[in-house]
Amino acid sequence: MSQNHYDIRKIRNFSIIAHIDHGKSTLADRLLEKTGAVAAREVEEQMLDNMELERERGITIKARAVRFLYQAKDGDTYECNLIDTPGHVDFGYEVSRSLTACEGAVLIVDATQGVQAQTLGNAYMAVDNDLEILPVINKIDLPSADPDMAKREIEDIIGIPASDAPCISAKMGINIEEVLERIVRDIPSPKGDALAPLRALIFDSYYDSYKGVIVYIRIMDGTISVGDIVKMMHTGAEFEVVETGTLNAFSMEKREALYAGEVGYFTASIKNIGDTKVGDTVTLKDRPCAEPLPGFKKVQPMVFSGIYPADGSKYGDLKEALEKLQLNDASLTFEPETSVALGFGFRCGFLGLLHMEIIDERLEREFNLDLITTAPSVVYELVLTDGSVLHVDNPSNYPDPAKIKEAREPIVRATVITPTDYVGPVMQFCLDRRGVYIDMKYLDQTRAELKYDMPLNEIIYDFFDTLKSKTKGYASLDYEPIGYKKSDLVKLDILLNGEMIDALSFIVFADRAYPRARRIVEKLRDNIPRQLFELPVQAAIGGKVIARETVKAMRKDVLAKCYGGDITRKKKLLEKQKEGKKRMRSFGSVQVPSEAFMAVLKMDDDT
Amino acid sequence: MSDSVALYYHIPFCKRKCIYCAFYSVPWATEEVKDAYLFALLKQTASFPEPREITSVYFGGGTPNLFGPRRLDKLLSEISKRFHLTEDCEISMELNPGISCFEDLHAYHMAGVNRLSIGMQSSDDDTLTLLGRNHTFLDTVNCMNDARKEGYGNISLDLMFALPGMDCGKFEKTLSDALNLEPEHISAYSLQLEEGTPLLMAKHNYIFPDEDEEEREYQLLCSRTGGAGYRHYEISSFARNDHVSRHNMHYWQCRDYIGFGPAAHSYWNGKRFSNKADIKEYIKEPLISNDYDSAERLSEEEMIEEQIMLGLRTDEGVKASLLSKKKVSILMEKGYLFLNDNRVRITERGWRVSNSIIGFLLA
Repeated sequence: MSQNHYDIRKIRNFSIIAHIDHGKSTLADRLLEKTGAVAAREVEEQMLDNMELERERGITIKARAVRFLYQAKDGDTYECNLIDTPGHVDFGYEVSRSLTACEGAVLIVDATQGVQAQTLGNAYMAVDNDLEILPVINKIDLPSADPDMAKREIEDIIGIPASDAPCISAKMGINIEEVLERIVRDIPSPKGDALAPLRALIFDSYYDSYKGVIVYIRIMDGTISVGDIVKMMHTGAEFEVVETGTLNAFSMEKREALYAGEVGYFTASIKNIGDTKVGDTVTLKDRPCAEPLPGFKKVQPMVFSGIYPADGSKYGDLKEALEKLQLNDASLTFEPETSVALGFGFRCGFLGLLHMEIIDERLEREFNLDLITTAPSVVYELVLTDGSVLHVDNPSNYPDPAKIKEAREPIVRATVITPTDYVGPVMQFCLDRRGVYIDMKYLDQTRAELKYDMPLNEIIYDFFDTLKSKTKGYASLDYEPIGYKKSDLVKLDILLNGEMIDALSFIVFADRAYPRARRIVEKLRDNIPRQLFELPVQAAIGGKVIARETVKAMRKDVLAKCYGGDITRKKKLLEKQKEGKKRMRSFGSVQVPSEAFMAVLKMDDDT
Repeated sequence: MSDSVALYYHIPFCKRKCIYCAFYSVPWATEEVKDAYLFALLKQTASFPEPREITSVYFGGGTPNLFGPRRLDKLLSEISKRFHLTEDCEISMELNPGISCFEDLHAYHMAGVNRLSIGMQSSDDDTLTLLGRNHTFLDTVNCMNDARKEGYGNISLDLMFALPGMDCGKFEKTLSDALNLEPEHISAYSLQLEEGTPLLMAKHNYIFPDEDEEEREYQLLCSRTGGAGYRHYEISSFARNDHVSRHNMHYWQCRDYIGFGPAAHSYWNGKRFSNKADIKEYIKEPLISNDYDSAERLSEEEMIEEQIMLGLRTDEGVKASLLSKKKVSILMEKGYLFLNDNRVRITERGWRVSNSIIGFLLA
């Protein structure tokens, strides 16, 4: 097929879905290599993951799409679009939209690990989207590989036939061709009418400083051409198409038009990425389709935290950096926030904890900022005595308890897959984290799947890391929000020298308040350097102090010797003290280094 | 403030360096080098442009008594030719008791030296060995007796505390031994771990007293010297019958002083500058090794900061009007400062944390 010859029957749109580390990106690289879309030497590790951070963490943060041509054994050339999906539970909605753009999905299962929590989550999502699922058993080159076990699990647990699933090693390049053959053979071609009114799904977008927003679309029906006036059906925004084309591994290839069934991009001098929401439907202004595509959701941040520069003078830099990140990440929200303790910063909203960590790390790494991030908070729903409902994502805004009729917190359904040896500890752990048991299934003799409903608040405090450490790294986790539930919540305040440190306040389940309070005051005691004055550190609920520690007054800070009139060292010391003050937060006569806040806010333990 | 000037002469020779010492010194004190060094000092002295009244001359080290009476005499006569030394000019010299003898002490006295500062450090010989000192306590006793016999009426003993392996009991012994020698003056410094010293590098081999122990030793120092009639007139200095170190007071009072020799510091015409810490270069070109020309004159603000920083080291304190009333009252409430005669002073307890106090006041 020549590139401009359009034949919908020769198009294959698919995703690769997998549990983290099961080899998704490696297989993507091999497919591109094998079909000549890129030369082997061009494969810089995993090219679909563009960002440095993604490569390091081995996860895909934003969806990407790549088009390649494959000459199959039947003699025809197929136009394949591989739509990559974010591999983490925080990005569930993005995954579902990417899957909607496909007719099939390659489901990778690690031959040494079998089905894992995200394998299931992603597979179910693909099934829900009516995708043809093509199971592939990866890592067969490893000595501990057990392909039959993996196949059996796919059939038993997910319930799709897997007996003839290709057994491959993406890393070694074994059996890649078979995967390609199966893609063209088993995955159906798109359905769609190129002559119907335009109906295209936005599955990703990013900001380019020359072209404006580049919108990734899958054309369901109709045609999009340069010069068309298009309309986003949910946001209502209208634009004139400047450019359309397909997505190659390293470049975008301009085309006059894209037709039903195809995957590609368009640009239209769009300045605001918020105008091109993932899941929205693109149609023509003058000839709109009857209805938008189903499934559009406005993405709501689930986790909030305050981000402050460690050096207060870097506020402007932080603002600029957040603006830049938001250009490519509409799910990141932020607004200015002031803290008595930390000065000027931003209240940021994230899809989940991983999303938060990624943003935090990118700010520090790409923009060279030193940050203090306050404890993450979920959004609490409070019914007040006057009947109104208040959503609170910042402990500082938590109202007077007397005004709260009912407090509710967000609940998720968590799925944990663990080796059966650890079922006991995992159940205990979920219980400790206020989990409500829903279901347990033995997937096979060695592994069990547990379902718990638990407060999201419990998940965002280090749940995954602790789960991993309790199961020697074997357990996997997936979760989805299921709504709000009444809860017994209190706001815990931290006081230094009798003054409340707003940035350290947090909302906590009442029974948890005491151990958390103890931990925090102890951590502060250990991290605040001794001062001229004895410094009480207290934790309080309302006006009642529930935990107290004391930072003792310093006993020694003197440069006694001033030898031969050399006062320069003493002056330098004072200069250093002054310099250090920039990274200090002052509370009356008390100085607290930013580092002490960081240490406390890094909740790296169980309590 | 009077116009008088102090002179500091650095004699950077040591037989070997003590393990805690970070000051500039060199070990190769051959006669030739010492002569060349004398020549260089004379040259820098002679070049001094503006003869003014001198109230203090101080020979510090290093080990000034390694320089020998002959050279010191030569140097002092050049100094008195060049400058006008006042009638009561304090002429001090640091002395290592391990290499002192009566004849030398006599010669120094004849040359004009009228104040000795003897590096006793401790009366515990094991501790002296551990510190790398090349003398015993008996050397100090002998040196002291010789000096008295010779007629020196102003002698200071240098002590150290917060030493590894030491506790209040041992330090009390040192204090008693020192007080029994009835010096006019005592300086006592807690051991500091300095960059680049063998002690810092090997610190894991020693057990150092903690902050609390160190504070107890300091309190002991203050109470024992106070009880024996010494006035605690500066963080580390104690004097009987007003025998304060005039030279050091010169520093604290922000008066002009000139440093001669490598690594010597000066404060002159509102500028602070120092000579390069390189004796070879100094010997070659004693006139250009300091950075006087490149030094910047202190601003009004800096001068006041220095006045506060240095003044608060002493029991003279500083004028209350230079400080923030609010900060002063916060620190007074905590027992770190007191106010007397419109001057603010740091308490004995406060001196132990004086960096933080001064930092707090200047911030």
